[in-house]
Amino acid sequence: MPRDVNIDRIASYTLRSGVLLSVSLIILGIILIFVKGEASGYNISQISDFHNMTINSKIISLSFSGIGAGLAHLDGFYFITVGLWVLIFTPISVVVLSIVTFVAEENRLYLIMAIIVLFNLFFAMLVIPRLM
Amino acid sequence: MNPVMSSLLFIAAKFLSIVVGGVFAGVLGSLTGLGGATVLVPLLTLFYGVPIIYATGASLISTIATSAGSASAYTKQKITNIKVGVGLEIATTTGAIVGSLTAVEVYDHKLQWIIYVIFGLVLLMSLIPTVQRGKYEVPQDRKADWSSKLFQLAGSYHDARLKKQVNYVGVRWWLAELIMFFAGVISGLLGIGSGALKVLGMDWAMNLPMKVTTTTSNFMIGITAATGSSIYWYEGYIQLFLAAAAAIGVLLGSFIGAKILVRITNKDIRWIFFGILSFLGVEMLLKGLITDRILIISSALEVAISLIAAVAMIGGLYVKNQRGENIAS
Repeated sequence: MPRDVNIDRIASYTLRSGVLLSVSLIILGIILIFVKGEASGYNISQISDFHNMTINSKIISLSFSGIGAGLAHLDGFYFITVGLWVLIFTPISVVVLSIVTFVAEENRLYLIMAIIVLFNLFFAMLVIPRLM
Repeated sequence: MNPVMSSLLFIAAKFLSIVVGGVFAGVLGSLTGLGGATVLVPLLTLFYGVPIIYATGASLISTIATSAGSASAYTKQKITNIKVGVGLEIATTTGAIVGSLTAVEVYDHKLQWIIYVIFGLVLLMSLIPTVQRGKYEVPQDRKADWSSKLFQLAGSYHDARLKKQVNYVGVRWWLAELIMFFAGVISGLLGIGSGALKVLGMDWAMNLPMKVTTTTSNFMIGITAATGSSIYWYEGYIQLFLAAAAAIGVLLGSFIGAKILVRITNKDIRWIFFGILSFLGVEMLLKGLITDRILIISSALEVAISLIAAVAMIGGLYVKNQRGENIAS
């Protein structure tokens, strides 16, 4: 007999904490940029210039060491970066949670479908950037 | 005041003005049900002069924030159908990959005007089903088909307003899957949640109750946008300063919007919001055509045309809607 698992509460809690954590990191990053007047070697006028097509997500090093160094140097860009990636992973974590439910319910069809969704997500994150 | 201090203040004001724009977009997006991003992109490009690449990047990020923020409330009430959501996300995430890769091609060839034109058209066309929907809270029963059983599309939720448990059975899963693919493409291409198309897929194709449709669509929007966002990220479409301000603003705005929505008793007020959105839609369309010199007109004339077209469109829909209500009653 498949067990009925209730993940609604956990999913709701995960979503809320993800958004809260993300927004706090983003605000912290913005404060750091204003206090220091720079981030990643760019001054605040360059950072806030929307017509500069070079200072954007492309200059951020997404390796663990890059992020670690950025956070250790209190680089505002890296706080915003981690905040934005926490945000991107927040809805994904609910799909992961749903996998747990489908396993517990022995729902093989939906387990496969959830895995396809995760595959698409990681294809977009890990494979496509290397192809381009 | 020394020059350093005054330039810092100027930049702080710039940041706050984007946050305010985001709040406005969030409020309007949640009151009309189209989502903050759909309002944010026209706002940033038309009034803040932000390049459309950065505007769509920032708005895709804001979409995740609002989706996750409001989904946390809905999933707890057990209205969201996670099974339907996960099943359809196969199509939305695939679509989002196709859509954002198309966006990359378009921007690589400096064909920005295409994005403006498609954005305008999508905005105007999403208004029509959005305006007309919501007449029936619970759909009329349809006979379950093979996909209802195979994909386990039966569900139930407690409706607080109707004060009863609503049981429903979804049908035509394959048709919804097809629509969701297009919803994903639009989301990746334009940096919006394309909730209107998602709602259409579940409401019209699958015959699900409105509450289930809107909350499940909202849950799916976050995952669709997450797929597109990662491609946008690597392509450098995310301007961190802008995305930070926009995400905070839209998130705040959508919470305010949700609070206001409960208090609005006069349904006619919504028509003003629809009017603003159709104005933005026509403006985007014209801006795209003007950028490529297909259409050469002065900016005053552009605004005038947008106003007239917006009033005509919303006026027509209003009259049609009123007539429909008279027949129903």
